Amino acid sequence: MAEPAIAAATSAEPLWGRAVEAWRWGRHNLDDPVGPLLAEHVLLSYASVLIGLALAVPLGVLCVRFRAFYAPVLGSVNALYAVPSLALFFLLLPYTAFSPWTAIIPLALYTLAILVPNVVDGLDQVPHHVRQAAVAMGFGPLRRLLRVELPVAVPVIIAGLRVASVATISMVSVASLVGLGGLGGIILTYGFARDFAAPVVVGIALSVALAFATDGLLVLAQRALTPWARDRGPARRRGRAARRRAADTTAARAGEGAAA
Amino acid sequence: MITFEGVSKQYPDGTVAVDNLDLTVPTGHTTVLVGSSGSGKTTALRMINRMVEPTAGRVAIDGSDVRGQDPPVLRRSIGYVIQQAGLFPHRTVADNIATVPQLLGWPKKRARERSRELMELVGLEPGHASRYPHQLSGGQQQRVGVARALAADPPVLLMDEPFSAVDPVVRGGLQDELLRLQAELRKTVVFVTHDIDEAVKLGDSIAVLRPGGRLAQLDSPERLLAEPVDEFVEAFVGYDRGVRRLSFFPARQLPLRSDVIVTAGETAAGARAVARRTGEPWLLVVDTGHRPMGWVSTETLAAAADDHDVAKLELVGYGHIFTVSTDSLRAALDAAVLSPAGRAVGVADDGTALGAVAQTELGSAIWAIGSDDEHSTAADGHG
Amino acid sequence: MSLLADVASWFAQPEQWSGPGGIPVRFAEHLYYSLLALLAAAVIAIPVGLLTGHTGRGGFAAISLANFARALPTIGVLTLVVLGMGLGLVPVLVALVALAVPPVLVNTYEGVRGVDPQLTDAARGMGMRGREVLWSLEIPMAMPLILLGLRTAAIQVVSTATIAAYVGIGGLGRFIVDGQSQQIIEQILGGALLVVLLALAVTTLFALLRRRVIAPGLRARSAASPAN
Repeated sequence: MAEPAIAAATSAEPLWGRAVEAWRWGRHNLDDPVGPLLAEHVLLSYASVLIGLALAVPLGVLCVRFRAFYAPVLGSVNALYAVPSLALFFLLLPYTAFSPWTAIIPLALYTLAILVPNVVDGLDQVPHHVRQAAVAMGFGPLRRLLRVELPVAVPVIIAGLRVASVATISMVSVASLVGLGGLGGIILTYGFARDFAAPVVVGIALSVALAFATDGLLVLAQRALTPWARDRGPARRRGRAARRRAADTTAARAGEGAAA
Repeated sequence: MITFEGVSKQYPDGTVAVDNLDLTVPTGHTTVLVGSSGSGKTTALRMINRMVEPTAGRVAIDGSDVRGQDPPVLRRSIGYVIQQAGLFPHRTVADNIATVPQLLGWPKKRARERSRELMELVGLEPGHASRYPHQLSGGQQQRVGVARALAADPPVLLMDEPFSAVDPVVRGGLQDELLRLQAELRKTVVFVTHDIDEAVKLGDSIAVLRPGGRLAQLDSPERLLAEPVDEFVEAFVGYDRGVRRLSFFPARQLPLRSDVIVTAGETAAGARAVARRTGEPWLLVVDTGHRPMGWVSTETLAAAADDHDVAKLELVGYGHIFTVSTDSLRAALDAAVLSPAGRAVGVADDGTALGAVAQTELGSAIWAIGSDDEHSTAADGHG
Repeated sequence: MSLLADVASWFAQPEQWSGPGGIPVRFAEHLYYSLLALLAAAVIAIPVGLLTGHTGRGGFAAISLANFARALPTIGVLTLVVLGMGLGLVPVLVALVALAVPPVLVNTYEGVRGVDPQLTDAARGMGMRGREVLWSLEIPMAMPLILLGLRTAAIQVVSTATIAAYVGIGGLGRFIVDGQSQQIIEQILGGALLVVLLALAVTTLFALLRRRVIAPGLRARSAASPAN
């Protein structure tokens, strides 16, 4: 690849040289743009996913209780998912200006397309006899939901959270086009604007690392929240494969877009 | 003829699935491999079409080592039926059956004709040809599975627990169907099951495998039931093997008493005379067409007016009957045990009563079989 | 309400419908980039997914790669390629392909892996060779998931292709970007609406494709048991 713009900065081994250069730049600028922007990235993405979850759970519960809602709700969140993030950021600017909400509101809305179907699928997985047993033991509707149904749905919901968090963390950077993108800021302001590859590499690497770390945290959270799913030998392995498949297809379905 | 010569299969982790197996499967016969899980029966079966390769020994079909042939080519010449049929859900019934003909490059028209032929052979309505597997019942799916295996008319048929996933009633029907097909087609069938009753019903010979993949006994079903070689086989075939073994002996050898039959229209006085003459406590009343109506007891006769028609007296149901020409001793015993009179009614093929046999006479007949065994002359062939 | 009227009147302006900056040209550009990216992603991801799924080898590596690609920030990829090769079509395509490969790859792989081992066993037992198993069993069985993956990718690509405007090669993103710089809200809304409409068209197209490409036996089955 001919890369005249950064040829000067790279040695005979362009890839390795670029990595070293990025490492140096990152270390040197840790305190000024890198650290704070990474923190902003964490704030924006985590807030978006958490708000998305806070909206998706009641929406999902509603859809399970009243099936008629599910089709229109799914249609709406899928239509939202197809709106370019750039447009949503721009459209919110007049109202929320350069506050974090400009990024958080659209990103939270996007997560709904992944999380709502997962919440519904998760609740649907509660076996009928479990629900019946809970009723028989005298659980009221709310306690049944909190104590029985949601815990059973946790693995599927977390599978959705994993997909949503990775997607959100990689998407936050787009908000840098309105001056709010966390690590995207490093990429655009320090990389693109100055024609300098090192900050771009640092931005990408940190964003990917954050995504993987978050994914790891969610896996740990699932293990902590569903101790009964641990140590079940082959059954557990099969269950996991099935869940992964469910999560993937659900995530895939999330992208079904406007109609549905 | 399929031969196993010192065949073993050891997996890399050390598990031995089949251990030094010597076995001959005669051409045109059904050989059942039976054993509990872990006995290597499926592994042995899958060595024939090279779905599993042995780590030692040799598997040969008609003398030629199966390893001399390219596996796909070999497999196209061997029918293969598995549990739950393994039908392709995206293909119609007709296309499923035509799978191997298509692989062999048959012209479309010929493959389609063959499908139709086979559907008829296995008892599927022609209207099912364009259906998809999920639209069929479990039993029908299994029929399609058998038809698919027979499509290219292979001389050898491998069946791996093909009927284990359907309910007992349907399973019985499928087994009867297979017996009928086999009588007609005379394939070399290797059938794997864990169900000893199925093995006894279908097998010309049965190979019992013990855990660890060693052959415990290879015998005809009746020999297996009569003389299990050791406690393992005895436990496996079950402790009621004595009664089950009766199914290999024809009921026609039983001494039937026809003198206990009275026909409708006979008077109570006449029947009383018959009872006195025969010394029997029960008489079998038949209608004018000689079909059984029921039993009448001597007590009932004693209480009846002299000119009373026996057919109008209080009769006890005749219960189960057995067909003398085709049923086994087991069916006769069953009928006798279930009869309120303690006697089994034997009928001819047209349903007319031939006579009755009491449990005591059945006992003598069964005892006679036991003494025959001393000289190893058990009846051969069945089904 | 007035915003809606503004958007409607923006669409009604005749100048939006002609010239190199008009809706038809922008729409065509957008469609072209999206199709190109989707095609490239399919050409890369489908064979890899089929092969890893069929052989069972390299599946972990392929899925890990897909997860990595999923975590890549699109803006970062775009910028990096722009810095290397300058503005133009290639950076946009690279970024969009990186976006589209994961869903197609993962779904293709899972589709093939998900085929009941009993069926592949039956297929091999009847004498099918590896490629016959792939073509006459695994691909038709995986088709619903492959299509799902392609559709997911297509929606994401269509929505994200708006960034093409940032590297100066047009597309519907121009309306959004120009609308922002000129502070014409209805133009941003109009551009966004056009993208959503395109996504809707994609969804419809895939629904039709599904009817044509997926074997009726599978369609009826999934309709009978949606949980499956």
